[in-house]
Amino acid sequence: MQVRGKVAKRFDDDINTDYIIPAYLLQESWDKQFFADHAFEAYDPAFAPTCRANKESIVVARNNFGCGSSREQAVYAIKYNNVVAVVAQSFPDIFFRNCLNNGLLPIQVADTSTIGLGDELVIDLDTRKLKDLTTGQEHDIVATDASIETMKRGGFLGYVKERLRQRLNAQPPRAP
Amino acid sequence: MGGATIAEKIVSRAVGRKAKAGEVIEAVPVDKLYFNEVIGPPAVLNFQKDFEDVYTASGKKLQVFNPSRIAFMPDHTVPSCSIKVSQGISLIRDFANDQGIAMYKEGDGIEHTIASEEAFVLPGEIAVATDSHTCTQGALGALAFGIGTTEGENLLATGELYSFTVPETISFRVKGRFQRGVYAKDLVLHVLGTMGEGGASKKVAEYSGPTIDSLDMDGRFTICNLSVEMSARTAIVNPDKTTLSYVEAALARRGMAMTDDLRGMVARSDPDATYSKTVDVDAATIEPTVSLPHSPANAKPVSQVSDPISTVFIGSCANAREADLTIAAKILKGRKVSPSTNLIVIPASRRVYNWAMDQGLLKVFADAGANIESSNCGPCFGKHMGILGPGDRCLSTSNRNYKGRMGSPDAFIYLGSPAVAAATAIEGRVADPRKYLPAGEA
Repeated sequence: MQVRGKVAKRFDDDINTDYIIPAYLLQESWDKQFFADHAFEAYDPAFAPTCRANKESIVVARNNFGCGSSREQAVYAIKYNNVVAVVAQSFPDIFFRNCLNNGLLPIQVADTSTIGLGDELVIDLDTRKLKDLTTGQEHDIVATDASIETMKRGGFLGYVKERLRQRLNAQPPRAP
Repeated sequence: MGGATIAEKIVSRAVGRKAKAGEVIEAVPVDKLYFNEVIGPPAVLNFQKDFEDVYTASGKKLQVFNPSRIAFMPDHTVPSCSIKVSQGISLIRDFANDQGIAMYKEGDGIEHTIASEEAFVLPGEIAVATDSHTCTQGALGALAFGIGTTEGENLLATGELYSFTVPETISFRVKGRFQRGVYAKDLVLHVLGTMGEGGASKKVAEYSGPTIDSLDMDGRFTICNLSVEMSARTAIVNPDKTTLSYVEAALARRGMAMTDDLRGMVARSDPDATYSKTVDVDAATIEPTVSLPHSPANAKPVSQVSDPISTVFIGSCANAREADLTIAAKILKGRKVSPSTNLIVIPASRRVYNWAMDQGLLKVFADAGANIESSNCGPCFGKHMGILGPGDRCLSTSNRNYKGRMGSPDAFIYLGSPAVAAATAIEGRVADPRKYLPAGEA
């Protein structure tokens, strides 16, 4: 499975989810697109228009992208601005799992410093290579087998529904 | 071969076989699951939308995996600060009532304080909640961490975490007596300063050693709470007599007693457990510490800082329990808040609030000129009860001083202990608390 996109934004270390979507908005909508409209509102207001300018954008960062608050709205804020993947040198656990659950690819590579703005990237989940078509460089994707599988499935939901189905069918029906 | 860490033991107990750090487990059942009113409403809506068809096809009514293991705790912006927040609280209340799930009231307290005070989370359990500071429960010797909305909805259905990587552990061994005016908050800010914001990424921060042994539970909650600011998966303290007497008292308040089953859940790391890294900390060398804008890891001794401060916040899941309010009141007793500073005090729970009232602490704060609010997350969430404007400088006992965290991105947030906060409120600038401590006070 391959995913392609253009690098629309580059970030430094320790971008926290408060920067991605501020707290005061979190309770004001249950619509995922709402958060995309306010992505990086106080930190980088150009984020949304810049990412939306491409059909498939990719965000590149250094270490510890998505740290801090567990708010999943941070993933909606990125993904629903036409972002297909975030490429970083490391991700904290909660943000990483929130990405997996929403089909936003959290791609870890050892060194993102050579990936430039505007570069065309191809992410190959089968060969676990990230190819930078602009520079010709190839990066190894660091991931467990389980997370690659989840990335290909676009999340856990189908799997969880199957677990629930098996469990419910193993129990006698409840009295009405 | 080496022994097991407490984290490995808790996961092993949950899955019924020996689990080692680094392995990925397909499904891990959790013991406790709780929600706030920020993520509760969308998690419930998504659960209803995504799983309805599975229940219908099985001829069953929509039903969570086990209502007695779940709780809803509205705490972030209560009493409600907007129409949408009120709608969200109504939504989770209706759902909780329909499903037979415990629903706490606005003002009962901050979720991570209620969870331990109510003995909802117990030693040896796996607890998850839709908030990154769920790691606070690690002070009980529970393996506790934050999850997102989708994981919350999945857990409502099945009570399981999927594709779970058993975390490795960093051992923080802390020795040395605190200097006068130094508390758990100073220790953890100092640790954040040495580790950096990503320094414990994906790892469990396990705290041990004589300094931790001598800490009360309130101090342990503070240390575990702040550990997520170095991106730790969670933090944990091995349960001891202090832990068990706290839990026994919490159970007793609910008319329950410690049983052999509960005692059997208690886990501790083996002396020969394998750690990914060991960090030795000498607490005796730590001074009262503040973290400067805009990172919790930007720690400096308070003696090097004297910036003017317009707002002081004593509150949050980090530092608003009995021990915290006690020390703040000792410093503020008989003194006045600076005319240039606004002091906001928010006890961490209704129980702490009522206790502080009985003890006369609320009167000390009120006499000093503080604004005392009912229990909630307050200005730490940046949505109500003290939003910072451009140029404002705030000293907060909370856990995050990111740019924009408490309001304007052009405000400045400093983190410190309740003692530093009280001294700062008096002087209107970042102040060393030691000169205000009564003689003989630790």
